[in-house]
Amino acid sequence: MKRSDRIRLDDAVSLRPEAFGALGYSYRDRQLFFIDKRLLPFVESRGSRPLGEIADELTAGGVLQKDALPRLMTVLEGLRRRGVLHVVV
Amino acid sequence: MSSYELLHRGLNAPICLTWEMTYACNLLCVHCLSSSGRRATDELNTAEAKALLDEWAAMKVFYINVGGGEPMTRPDFFELMEYAIARRIGVKFSTNGTLVDAAAARWISTTDYLDVQISVDGASSEVNDAIRGRGSFSRAWRAMELLAAEGFTFKVNHVVTRRSFEQLDALHASVTGMGGQLRVTRLRPSGRGRAVWDALKLTQEQNRRLYGWLRAHRDVLTGDSFFHLSALGAPLDGLNMCGAGRIVCCVDPRGDVYACPFVLADEFRAGNVRKSSFAAIWAGSPLFDRLRGWEVDGQCRTCGAFGRCHGGCMAVKHFTGVALDDPDPECVFAPDAGPTATIIPLNLHPRPIRPAPS
Repeated sequence: MKRSDRIRLDDAVSLRPEAFGALGYSYRDRQLFFIDKRLLPFVESRGSRPLGEIADELTAGGVLQKDALPRLMTVLEGLRRRGVLHVVV
Repeated sequence: MSSYELLHRGLNAPICLTWEMTYACNLLCVHCLSSSGRRATDELNTAEAKALLDEWAAMKVFYINVGGGEPMTRPDFFELMEYAIARRIGVKFSTNGTLVDAAAARWISTTDYLDVQISVDGASSEVNDAIRGRGSFSRAWRAMELLAAEGFTFKVNHVVTRRSFEQLDALHASVTGMGGQLRVTRLRPSGRGRAVWDALKLTQEQNRRLYGWLRAHRDVLTGDSFFHLSALGAPLDGLNMCGAGRIVCCVDPRGDVYACPFVLADEFRAGNVRKSSFAAIWAGSPLFDRLRGWEVDGQCRTCGAFGRCHGGCMAVKHFTGVALDDPDPECVFAPDAGPTATIIPLNLHPRPIRPAPS
Protein backbone atom coordinates (compact mmCIF):
# COMPACT_ATOMS: atom_id res chain seq x y z
CA MET A 1 0.00 0.00 0.00
CA LYS A 2 1.48 3.34 -1.05
CA ARG A 3 0.88 6.92 0.08
CA SER A 4 -0.50 7.73 -3.33
CA ASP A 5 -3.10 4.94 -3.23
CA ARG A 6 -6.78 5.77 -2.91
CA ILE A 7 -8.93 3.06 -1.35
CA ARG A 8 -12.60 2.14 -1.14
CA LEU A 9 -14.53 -0.51 0.74
CA ASP A 10 -15.74 -3.57 -1.10
CA ASP A 11 -19.43 -3.37 -2.03
CA ALA A 12 -20.17 -6.51 0.04
CA VAL A 13 -18.73 -4.96 3.21
CA SER A 14 -20.68 -3.11 5.87
CA LEU A 15 -19.28 -1.13 8.80
CA ARG A 16 -20.98 -0.30 12.08
CA PRO A 17 -19.64 2.33 14.47
CA GLU A 18 -18.43 0.96 17.82
CA ALA A 19 -16.54 2.46 20.77
CA PHE A 20 -13.22 1.10 19.49
CA GLY A 21 -13.84 2.30 15.92
CA ALA A 22 -16.04 0.07 13.81
CA LEU A 23 -17.08 -3.52 13.44
CA GLY A 24 -17.01 -4.74 9.87
CA TYR A 25 -18.76 -7.62 8.17
CA SER A 26 -18.18 -9.08 4.76
CA TYR A 27 -21.31 -10.56 3.21
CA ARG A 28 -19.02 -12.31 0.73
CA ASP A 29 -17.08 -14.54 3.13
CA ARG A 30 -19.37 -14.01 6.18
CA GLN A 31 -16.43 -12.83 8.29
CA LEU A 32 -16.39 -10.13 10.97
CA PHE A 33 -13.41 -7.85 11.50
CA PHE A 34 -12.44 -4.99 13.78
CA ILE A 35 -11.45 -1.53 12.55
CA ASP A 36 -9.47 0.61 14.97
CA LYS A 37 -10.73 4.20 15.16
CA ARG A 38 -7.41 5.51 13.76
CA LEU A 39 -8.08 3.51 10.59
CA LEU A 40 -11.59 4.81 10.01
CA PRO A 41 -10.66 7.99 8.09
CA PHE A 42 -8.75 5.80 5.63
CA VAL A 43 -11.30 3.00 5.12
CA GLU A 44 -14.20 5.45 4.88
CA SER A 45 -12.47 7.77 2.39
CA ARG A 46 -14.36 6.21 -0.60
CA GLY A 47 -11.36 6.73 -2.84
CA SER A 48 -11.67 10.49 -2.58
CA ARG A 49 -8.12 11.24 -1.42
CA PRO A 50 -4.70 9.54 -1.38
CA LEU A 51 -3.78 7.74 1.84
CA GLY A 52 -0.74 10.00 2.33
CA GLU A 53 -2.88 13.12 2.26
CA ILE A 54 -5.25 11.71 4.88
CA ALA A 55 -2.30 10.62 7.02
CA ASP A 56 -0.66 14.05 6.85
CA GLU A 57 -3.87 15.73 7.92
CA LEU A 58 -4.33 13.36 10.86
CA THR A 59 -0.70 13.76 11.90
CA ALA A 60 -0.90 17.56 11.73
CA GLY A 61 -4.05 17.46 13.83
CA GLY A 62 -2.34 15.34 16.48
CA VAL A 63 -4.77 12.47 15.88
CA LEU A 64 -2.09 10.16 14.56
CA GLN A 65 1.54 9.69 15.63
CA LYS A 66 3.92 9.72 12.65
CA ASP A 67 5.53 6.44 13.70
CA ALA A 68 2.11 4.71 13.76
CA LEU A 69 1.66 5.07 10.01
CA PRO A 70 3.70 2.06 8.79
CA ARG A 71 1.73 -0.24 11.12
CA LEU A 72 -1.59 1.17 9.88
CA MET A 73 -0.49 0.71 6.27
CA THR A 74 0.29 -2.93 7.04
CA VAL A 75 -3.20 -3.42 8.48
CA LEU A 76 -4.77 -1.75 5.42
CA GLU A 77 -2.74 -4.03 3.17
CA GLY A 78 -4.05 -7.04 5.12
CA LEU A 79 -7.63 -5.83 4.61
CA ARG A 80 -6.93 -5.35 0.89
CA ARG A 81 -5.65 -8.91 0.61
CA ARG A 82 -8.81 -10.19 2.32
CA GLY A 83 -10.91 -8.34 -0.24
CA VAL A 84 -12.36 -5.96 2.35
CA LEU A 85 -11.08 -2.91 0.50
CA HIS A 86 -9.70 -2.13 -2.94
CA VAL A 87 -7.19 0.30 -4.39
CA VAL A 88 -9.02 2.65 -6.73
CA VAL A 89 -7.47 2.62 -10.19
CA MET B 1 -6.55 -5.20 22.99
CA SER B 2 -7.85 -8.77 22.61
CA SER B 3 -11.19 -9.56 20.98
CA TYR B 4 -12.40 -10.72 24.42
CA GLU B 5 -11.68 -7.31 25.91
CA LEU B 6 -13.29 -5.56 22.93
CA LEU B 7 -16.46 -7.62 23.09
CA HIS B 8 -16.92 -8.32 26.77
CA ARG B 9 -18.39 -4.89 27.49
CA GLY B 10 -20.92 -5.23 24.71
CA LEU B 11 -21.49 -3.72 21.28
CA ASN B 12 -23.91 -1.19 19.78
CA ALA B 13 -25.81 -4.14 18.26
CA PRO B 14 -25.56 -7.91 18.67
CA ILE B 15 -23.40 -9.90 16.28
CA CYS B 16 -25.23 -13.13 17.03
CA LEU B 17 -28.92 -12.36 17.07
CA THR B 18 -31.19 -15.38 17.12
CA TRP B 19 -34.78 -14.81 16.10
CA GLU B 20 -37.05 -17.69 16.93
CA MET B 21 -39.93 -16.98 14.58
CA THR B 22 -42.40 -19.52 15.87
CA TYR B 23 -42.89 -22.25 18.42
CA ALA B 24 -44.72 -24.28 15.80
CA CYS B 25 -42.88 -27.38 14.68
CA ASN B 26 -43.82 -30.54 12.83
CA LEU B 27 -41.26 -32.45 14.91
CA LEU B 28 -40.99 -32.85 18.67
CA CYS B 29 -37.29 -33.43 19.27
CA VAL B 30 -36.45 -34.69 22.73
CA HIS B 31 -33.73 -32.08 23.31
CA CYS B 32 -35.49 -29.00 21.85
CA LEU B 33 -34.07 -25.86 23.50
CA SER B 34 -37.34 -23.98 23.18
CA SER B 35 -39.71 -26.90 23.91
CA SER B 36 -41.32 -26.20 20.55
CA GLY B 37 -44.22 -28.03 18.95
CA ARG B 38 -47.34 -25.89 19.14
CA ARG B 39 -47.64 -22.36 17.78
CA ALA B 40 -48.21 -19.75 20.49
CA THR B 41 -51.38 -17.72 19.96
CA ASP B 42 -49.59 -14.42 20.60
CA GLU B 43 -46.62 -14.74 18.25
CA LEU B 44 -45.45 -11.59 16.46
CA ASN B 45 -47.54 -11.03 13.33
CA THR B 46 -46.14 -10.12 9.93
CA ALA B 47 -46.33 -6.35 10.49
CA GLU B 48 -44.66 -6.61 13.89
CA ALA B 49 -41.98 -8.85 12.46
CA LYS B 50 -41.28 -6.38 9.66
CA ALA B 51 -41.05 -3.50 12.14
CA LEU B 52 -38.49 -5.51 14.08
CA LEU B 53 -36.48 -6.13 10.92
CA ASP B 54 -36.61 -2.40 10.12
CA GLU B 55 -35.20 -1.67 13.53
CA TRP B 56 -32.40 -4.21 13.14
CA ALA B 57 -31.53 -2.75 9.75
CA ALA B 58 -31.33 0.74 11.30
CA MET B 59 -29.01 -0.65 14.01
CA LYS B 60 -26.86 -2.22 11.29
CA VAL B 61 -27.35 -5.76 12.49
CA PHE B 62 -25.32 -7.60 9.88
CA TYR B 63 -27.16 -10.91 9.97
CA ILE B 64 -29.70 -12.86 11.98
CA ASN B 65 -29.94 -16.51 12.93
CA VAL B 66 -33.50 -17.58 12.27
CA GLY B 67 -34.91 -20.58 14.08
CA GLY B 68 -37.88 -21.78 16.03
CA GLY B 69 -39.69 -24.13 16.14
CA GLU B 70 -39.56 -24.82 12.46
CA PRO B 71 -39.41 -21.39 10.80
CA MET B 72 -40.65 -22.72 7.47
CA THR B 73 -44.04 -23.48 9.03
CA ARG B 74 -44.76 -19.74 9.17
CA PRO B 75 -46.91 -18.81 6.17
CA ASP B 76 -44.97 -15.54 5.86
CA PHE B 77 -41.55 -17.20 6.12
CA PHE B 78 -40.38 -16.42 2.57
CA GLU B 79 -41.86 -12.92 2.68
CA LEU B 80 -40.03 -12.08 5.92
CA MET B 81 -36.73 -13.54 4.77
CA GLU B 82 -36.84 -11.52 1.57
CA TYR B 83 -37.83 -8.44 3.56
CA ALA B 84 -34.75 -8.88 5.78
CA ILE B 85 -32.37 -9.49 2.89
CA ALA B 86 -33.69 -6.46 0.99
CA ARG B 87 -32.62 -4.41 4.02
CA ARG B 88 -29.14 -5.92 3.95
CA ILE B 89 -29.66 -8.21 6.90
CA GLY B 90 -28.06 -11.54 6.06
CA VAL B 91 -30.11 -14.58 7.05
CA LYS B 92 -28.87 -17.86 8.45
CA PHE B 93 -31.84 -20.07 9.06
CA SER B 94 -32.08 -23.40 10.80
CA THR B 95 -34.55 -25.98 9.61
CA ASN B 96 -35.28 -29.64 10.15
CA GLY B 97 -35.38 -29.88 6.36
CA THR B 98 -38.78 -31.58 6.15
CA LEU B 99 -40.36 -28.64 4.31
CA VAL B 100 -37.49 -28.07 1.88
CA ASP B 101 -38.86 -29.14 -1.48
CA ALA B 102 -37.41 -28.54 -4.94
CA ALA B 103 -38.89 -25.04 -5.15
CA ALA B 104 -37.54 -24.06 -1.72
CA ALA B 105 -34.12 -25.46 -2.62
CA ARG B 106 -34.11 -23.35 -5.77
CA TRP B 107 -35.14 -20.26 -3.81
CA ILE B 108 -32.40 -20.87 -1.21
CA SER B 109 -29.71 -21.36 -3.82
CA THR B 110 -30.63 -18.27 -5.81
CA THR B 111 -31.09 -15.84 -2.91
CA ASP B 112 -28.11 -13.71 -1.91
CA TYR B 113 -27.04 -13.36 1.72
CA LEU B 114 -28.90 -16.52 2.69
CA ASP B 115 -27.41 -19.49 4.49
CA VAL B 116 -29.22 -22.59 5.65
CA GLN B 117 -28.39 -25.23 8.19
CA ILE B 118 -30.23 -28.50 8.44
CA SER B 119 -30.45 -30.22 11.79
CA VAL B 120 -29.22 -33.81 11.79
CA ASP B 121 -28.40 -35.56 15.05
CA GLY B 122 -26.71 -38.72 13.86
CA ALA B 123 -25.24 -40.34 10.80
CA SER B 124 -27.94 -43.01 10.73
CA SER B 125 -31.71 -43.00 11.08
CA GLU B 126 -31.38 -45.26 14.10
CA VAL B 127 -29.45 -42.65 16.09
CA ASN B 128 -31.02 -39.50 14.61
CA ASP B 129 -34.65 -40.62 14.73
CA ALA B 130 -34.44 -41.64 18.39
CA ILE B 131 -33.90 -37.94 19.10
CA ARG B 132 -35.70 -36.13 16.28
CA GLY B 133 -38.54 -38.50 15.41
CA ARG B 134 -39.26 -41.34 13.01
CA GLY B 135 -38.64 -40.42 9.40
CA SER B 136 -36.78 -37.20 10.20
CA PHE B 137 -33.40 -38.52 9.07
CA SER B 138 -34.53 -39.47 5.57
CA ARG B 139 -36.40 -36.15 5.16
CA ALA B 140 -33.37 -34.14 6.23
CA TRP B 141 -31.20 -36.15 3.88
CA ARG B 142 -33.62 -35.46 1.04
CA ALA B 143 -33.31 -31.72 1.73
CA MET B 144 -29.52 -32.00 1.61
CA GLU B 145 -29.73 -33.81 -1.74
CA LEU B 146 -32.01 -31.14 -3.17
CA LEU B 147 -29.66 -28.36 -2.06
CA ALA B 148 -26.60 -30.26 -3.30
CA ALA B 149 -28.29 -30.66 -6.68
CA GLU B 150 -28.59 -26.87 -6.81
CA GLY B 151 -24.85 -26.59 -6.10
CA PHE B 152 -25.59 -24.86 -2.81
CA THR B 153 -23.15 -25.14 0.10
CA PHE B 154 -25.55 -25.98 2.91
CA LYS B 155 -24.57 -26.57 6.51
CA VAL B 156 -25.61 -29.46 8.68
CA ASN B 157 -26.00 -28.70 12.36
CA HIS B 158 -25.34 -31.65 14.60
CA VAL B 159 -25.96 -31.55 18.35
CA VAL B 160 -23.41 -34.10 19.43
CA THR B 161 -24.58 -36.51 22.12
CA ARG B 162 -23.28 -39.58 23.84
CA ARG B 163 -25.22 -41.62 21.27
CA SER B 164 -23.94 -39.89 18.17
CA PHE B 165 -20.36 -39.22 19.17
CA GLU B 166 -18.92 -42.31 17.46
CA GLN B 167 -20.65 -41.25 14.22
CA LEU B 168 -18.84 -37.92 13.91
CA ASP B 169 -16.41 -39.18 11.29
CA ALA B 170 -19.18 -40.81 9.25
CA LEU B 171 -21.36 -37.70 9.37
CA HIS B 172 -18.44 -35.46 8.47
CA ALA B 173 -17.62 -37.66 5.46
CA SER B 174 -21.24 -37.75 4.26
CA VAL B 175 -21.84 -34.03 4.59
CA THR B 176 -18.59 -32.90 3.01
CA GLY B 177 -19.03 -35.57 0.34
CA MET B 178 -22.26 -33.84 -0.68
CA GLY B 179 -20.55 -30.45 -0.80
CA GLY B 180 -21.91 -29.33 2.56
CA GLN B 181 -20.23 -28.13 5.70
CA LEU B 182 -20.62 -29.74 9.11
CA ARG B 183 -21.39 -27.71 12.23
CA VAL B 184 -21.19 -29.48 15.56
CA THR B 185 -22.83 -27.89 18.59
CA ARG B 186 -23.17 -28.61 22.26
CA LEU B 187 -26.20 -30.23 23.90
CA ARG B 188 -27.71 -27.88 26.45
CA PRO B 189 -30.04 -28.76 29.32
CA SER B 190 -32.48 -26.09 28.12
CA GLY B 191 -36.16 -26.63 27.27
CA ARG B 192 -36.82 -30.33 26.78
CA GLY B 193 -33.06 -30.82 26.82
CA ARG B 194 -33.28 -30.70 30.59
CA ALA B 195 -35.00 -34.07 30.74
CA VAL B 196 -32.44 -35.84 28.57
CA TRP B 197 -29.30 -34.04 29.70
CA ASP B 198 -27.99 -36.80 31.94
CA ALA B 199 -28.70 -39.50 29.39
CA LEU B 200 -27.35 -37.70 26.33
CA LYS B 201 -24.54 -35.37 27.48
CA LEU B 202 -21.06 -36.42 26.47
CA THR B 203 -18.89 -38.33 28.90
CA GLN B 204 -15.71 -36.69 30.10
CA GLU B 205 -13.72 -39.02 27.89
CA GLN B 206 -15.85 -38.09 24.87
CA ASN B 207 -15.41 -34.39 25.65
CA ARG B 208 -11.62 -34.82 25.66
CA ARG B 209 -11.75 -36.74 22.39
CA LEU B 210 -14.08 -34.15 20.90
CA TYR B 211 -11.55 -31.41 21.63
CA GLY B 212 -8.89 -33.35 19.69
CA TRP B 213 -11.34 -34.12 16.89
CA LEU B 214 -12.30 -30.46 16.48
CA ARG B 215 -8.64 -29.42 16.51
CA ALA B 216 -8.01 -31.95 13.74
CA HIS B 217 -11.08 -30.91 11.69
CA ARG B 218 -10.73 -27.15 11.32
CA ASP B 219 -13.34 -27.10 8.56
CA VAL B 220 -16.02 -28.03 11.09
CA LEU B 221 -17.91 -25.07 12.52
CA THR B 222 -18.97 -24.98 16.18
CA GLY B 223 -20.74 -21.65 16.71
CA ASP B 224 -18.31 -21.19 19.60
CA SER B 225 -20.18 -24.01 21.38
CA PHE B 226 -17.28 -25.75 23.02
CA PHE B 227 -15.17 -23.00 24.49
CA HIS B 228 -15.23 -24.84 27.83
CA LEU B 229 -13.08 -27.48 26.09
CA SER B 230 -10.43 -24.89 25.20
CA ALA B 231 -9.21 -25.38 28.77
CA LEU B 232 -7.59 -28.59 27.50
CA GLY B 233 -4.92 -26.79 25.47
CA ALA B 234 -4.71 -24.48 22.49
CA PRO B 235 -8.02 -22.62 22.16
CA LEU B 236 -10.56 -23.89 19.65
CA ASP B 237 -11.40 -21.57 16.76
CA GLY B 238 -13.83 -18.82 17.78
CA LEU B 239 -14.13 -16.11 20.38
CA ASN B 240 -14.06 -18.57 23.29
CA MET B 241 -16.33 -16.54 25.52
CA CYS B 242 -19.93 -16.44 26.69
CA GLY B 243 -21.49 -13.66 24.64
CA ALA B 244 -24.87 -13.64 26.41
CA GLY B 245 -26.23 -10.08 26.55
CA ARG B 246 -22.88 -8.75 25.28
CA ILE B 247 -22.75 -9.79 21.65
CA VAL B 248 -25.52 -12.40 21.69
CA CYS B 249 -29.25 -12.27 22.32
CA CYS B 250 -32.45 -14.03 21.32
CA VAL B 251 -35.89 -12.76 20.40
CA ASP B 252 -38.56 -15.40 20.91
CA PRO B 253 -41.78 -15.73 18.86
CA ARG B 254 -43.70 -13.50 21.31
CA GLY B 255 -41.07 -10.73 21.12
CA ASP B 256 -39.44 -11.50 24.45
CA VAL B 257 -35.74 -10.65 24.37
CA TYR B 258 -33.40 -13.05 26.18
CA ALA B 259 -29.67 -12.90 26.80
CA CYS B 260 -29.06 -16.00 24.72
CA PRO B 261 -31.07 -18.68 22.88
CA PHE B 262 -30.05 -21.23 25.48
CA VAL B 263 -31.47 -19.37 28.49
CA LEU B 264 -35.14 -18.87 27.72
CA ALA B 265 -35.89 -18.32 31.42
CA ASP B 266 -37.47 -15.41 33.29
CA GLU B 267 -34.17 -14.53 35.00
CA PHE B 268 -32.59 -13.89 31.61
CA ARG B 269 -35.43 -11.99 29.94
CA ALA B 270 -34.44 -8.39 29.25
CA GLY B 271 -37.75 -7.06 27.87
CA ASN B 272 -40.33 -7.39 25.13
CA VAL B 273 -40.33 -5.62 21.77
CA ARG B 274 -44.07 -4.90 22.06
CA LYS B 275 -43.40 -2.78 25.14
CA SER B 276 -40.20 -1.01 24.13
CA SER B 277 -37.94 -0.88 21.13
CA PHE B 278 -35.36 -3.59 20.60
CA ALA B 279 -32.66 -0.90 20.50
CA ALA B 280 -33.72 0.40 23.92
CA ILE B 281 -33.69 -3.11 25.38
CA TRP B 282 -30.28 -3.88 23.89
CA ALA B 283 -28.74 -0.63 25.08
CA GLY B 284 -30.51 -0.08 28.36
CA SER B 285 -31.78 -3.27 29.94
CA PRO B 286 -30.50 -3.66 33.51
CA LEU B 287 -29.94 -7.37 32.86
CA PHE B 288 -27.69 -6.74 29.86
CA ASP B 289 -25.90 -3.98 31.71
CA ARG B 290 -25.19 -6.38 34.56
CA LEU B 291 -23.95 -9.13 32.21
CA ARG B 292 -21.61 -6.71 30.46
CA GLY B 293 -19.86 -5.90 33.72
CA TRP B 294 -19.82 -9.45 35.01
CA GLU B 295 -17.13 -12.09 34.96
CA VAL B 296 -17.14 -15.56 36.45
CA ASP B 297 -15.65 -15.41 39.91
CA GLY B 298 -14.87 -18.12 42.44
CA GLN B 299 -12.48 -20.99 41.90
CA CYS B 300 -12.31 -20.48 38.11
CA ARG B 301 -10.29 -17.31 38.66
CA THR B 302 -7.40 -19.28 40.12
CA CYS B 303 -7.45 -21.85 37.30
CA GLY B 304 -4.64 -21.62 34.76
CA ALA B 305 -7.13 -22.18 31.94
CA PHE B 306 -9.46 -19.28 32.85
CA GLY B 307 -8.11 -17.10 30.05
CA ARG B 308 -9.18 -19.75 27.52
CA CYS B 309 -12.60 -20.86 28.79
CA HIS B 310 -13.71 -17.92 31.00
CA GLY B 311 -15.73 -20.24 33.19
CA GLY B 312 -17.88 -21.89 30.54
CA CYS B 313 -21.55 -21.71 29.55
CA MET B 314 -23.97 -19.73 31.69
CA ALA B 315 -27.01 -21.61 30.34
CA VAL B 316 -25.66 -25.03 31.24
CA LYS B 317 -24.95 -23.80 34.76
CA HIS B 318 -28.37 -22.22 35.15
CA PHE B 319 -30.35 -25.24 34.06
CA THR B 320 -28.29 -27.71 36.07
CA GLY B 321 -28.70 -25.62 39.22
CA VAL B 322 -25.07 -24.58 39.41
CA ALA B 323 -24.14 -21.07 40.61
CA LEU B 324 -22.97 -18.85 37.73
CA ASP B 325 -19.66 -18.29 39.52
CA ASP B 326 -19.00 -22.03 39.69
CA PRO B 327 -17.17 -23.96 36.97
CA ASP B 328 -19.11 -25.26 33.97
CA PRO B 329 -20.71 -28.63 34.91
CA GLU B 330 -18.69 -30.12 32.06
CA CYS B 331 -15.44 -28.48 33.15
CA VAL B 332 -12.65 -30.63 31.75
CA PHE B 333 -10.97 -30.67 35.15
CA ALA B 334 -14.00 -32.09 36.93
CA PRO B 335 -13.62 -35.71 38.01
CA ASP B 336 -15.07 -38.36 35.76
CA ALA B 337 -18.62 -39.20 36.70
CA GLY B 338 -17.93 -42.93 36.81
CA PRO B 339 -21.00 -44.99 35.95
CA THR B 340 -22.42 -42.26 33.71
CA ALA B 341 -19.60 -43.00 31.31
CA THR B 342 -21.58 -46.04 30.27
CA ILE B 343 -24.51 -45.85 27.92
CA ILE B 344 -27.71 -45.17 29.80
CA PRO B 345 -30.74 -46.92 28.32
CA LEU B 346 -32.95 -44.41 26.59
CA ASN B 347 -36.68 -44.28 26.72
CA LEU B 348 -37.30 -41.43 24.31
CA HIS B 349 -40.45 -40.89 22.33
CA PRO B 350 -40.04 -38.11 19.78
CA ARG B 351 -43.14 -37.64 17.68
CA PRO B 352 -42.99 -38.76 14.06
CA ILE B 353 -43.22 -36.08 11.41
CA ARG B 354 -46.66 -34.57 11.09
CA PRO B 355 -48.02 -32.15 8.51
CA ALA B 356 -46.98 -28.55 9.01
CA PRO B 357 -49.32 -26.91 11.51
CA SER B 358 -51.53 -24.22 10.07
